Amino acid sequence: MPKRVLILGGGDGGTILANRLVKKLPASQVEVEVIDKSDVHWYQPGFLFIATGEAEKEDISRRRPGLFRKGIKFTKGEVMKIDLDDRTVDLADGTKKKYDYLVIATGSTLNPDEIPGFEQGVDHFWNYEAAMKLREKLFSIKEGKVIVGIGGLLYKCPVAPLEIAFLAEELFRKRGVRDKIEMKYVSPIDRAYAPHLLNRVIEEEMEKRGIEVVTFFSVDSVDPERKVVNSLEGDSLDYDLLILTPPQQGVKAVRDSGIGDDEGWIPVDKHFLNIEGYDDAFAIGDATALPTPKTGVIAHFQAATLAHNLAVEISGQGTKEIFDGQSFCVIETGMGKASAQVSSYFYDVPPGLIPNWVLHAMKLAMNKMYWRCILTGMI
Amino acid sequence: MSDVQPTITVDARGVACPGPLTSLIKAYRKAKNGDIIEVLATDAGFKADVEAWVKRTGNELLSITEEGGVIRALIKVTAR
Ligand SMILES: Cc1cc2nc3c(=O)[nH]c(=O)nc-3n(C[C@H](O)[C@H](O)[C@H](O)COP(=O)(O)OP(=O)(O)OC[C@H]3O[C@@H](n4cnc5c(N)ncnc54)[C@H](O)[C@@H]3O)c2cc1C
Repeated sequence: MPKRVLILGGGDGGTILANRLVKKLPASQVEVEVIDKSDVHWYQPGFLFIATGEAEKEDISRRRPGLFRKGIKFTKGEVMKIDLDDRTVDLADGTKKKYDYLVIATGSTLNPDEIPGFEQGVDHFWNYEAAMKLREKLFSIKEGKVIVGIGGLLYKCPVAPLEIAFLAEELFRKRGVRDKIEMKYVSPIDRAYAPHLLNRVIEEEMEKRGIEVVTFFSVDSVDPERKVVNSLEGDSLDYDLLILTPPQQGVKAVRDSGIGDDEGWIPVDKHFLNIEGYDDAFAIGDATALPTPKTGVIAHFQAATLAHNLAVEISGQGTKEIFDGQSFCVIETGMGKASAQVSSYFYDVPPGLIPNWVLHAMKLAMNKMYWRCILTGMI
Repeated sequence: MSDVQPTITVDARGVACPGPLTSLIKAYRKAKNGDIIEVLATDAGFKADVEAWVKRTGNELLSITEEGGVIRALIKVTAR
């Protein structure tokens, strides 16, 4: 009898894991089913380029069923409840799914209510609709105060707010309105970006581009009518356009199942990714409570480790590997250049690279390689 | 300071990005005056960061110690 691996969420982590697993094991040994509530897969880093008008919907989305290798069953359905002890998962249409191994890869969900006034007063690009709304504003603003920065503290892609600051600045120049727009970048700490070496590169670039860094500004609330953003430290800033990271949390199904912490992030073993207290249930990607950044790169590397380890466990052959926290981020700085950062559990002073065109070319190449090479489990 | 019991613990060991100070501020958002936040971190820059942060926000740094590569800071919330 093949072992039944049930994967909840067919985003980066779930898709890569499924495709890698069926590459490693024959159908006689494994049966893989992926459940996702949506049949459209978004390349989320592309939302940045939607906002800046450099990409369109068709460049960054695909029909989900076409992204899985032969042998994988895709079910469109919403997960409502997960019972790790009974090994069952309930879907919204009443179906119950059983499993031998479960992998939760449901990512995160936006929680704008954490910051009063966020919904009405703030723009962002953490989904397609918001990115399109922001695009309209970036292309129509003629003068005034633009504030970019950190709103919600735990969010997907730590470098994304830096990127939109640089790309918006470049766009305002191209539109010929830069000299009438004042730009500020708000950060809750004493510098723009936490890792010191990359921060040096970032702050130098911000100074060159005339973006003022406002430090110790933890966004507490927004007054959309008066167009004022207030900080926990007691300061306030006026804005005409406010672009902040939206607060995020684990998805409702995880929170309702009592699996995650108070925000629904799932505690897992940092190396083997099993959910604490279970050896047949795992979580990967943004859904975990690990201290690693919430990025596709992390979801990708975790999926690779877990696919290998599940194959070892199911086939009884080979040796298990550990996930070492490895991450690699490319940061668009605009003007055809990008910087990058690498880090891992064992390497917590990540270097920051001087912006150059090679890294920018890499990021553009990734927009294409993503569909062909990464999701399919080739690399 | 070993007799001070934290009411909130933030384990930010191995966090380079977004960084232990961000984890502290996240806990601080939900804290109330009188809470004691304990932060565990391995990021060498955390010591200077937390000192600058308490100074700017007016909270109280009860102690900061280092053992076996782990920095432990105890912060009393007084400025909420
Ligand atoms: C603006 C932006 C820029 C980014 N830039 C980068 C970057 O440059 N580099 C990088 O590495 N990462 C980047 N990321 C982050 C990256 O996209 C995520 O970290 C990655 O997608 C996480 O993968 P995942 O599998 O954990 O979650 P996701 O890819 O989000 O997938 C989760 C899936 O679960 C499904 N799901 C959720 N709840 C349920 C339910 N109840 N029932 C059924 N299905 C459910 C969802 O529909 C979704 O398909 C960026 C993200 C954003 C938003």
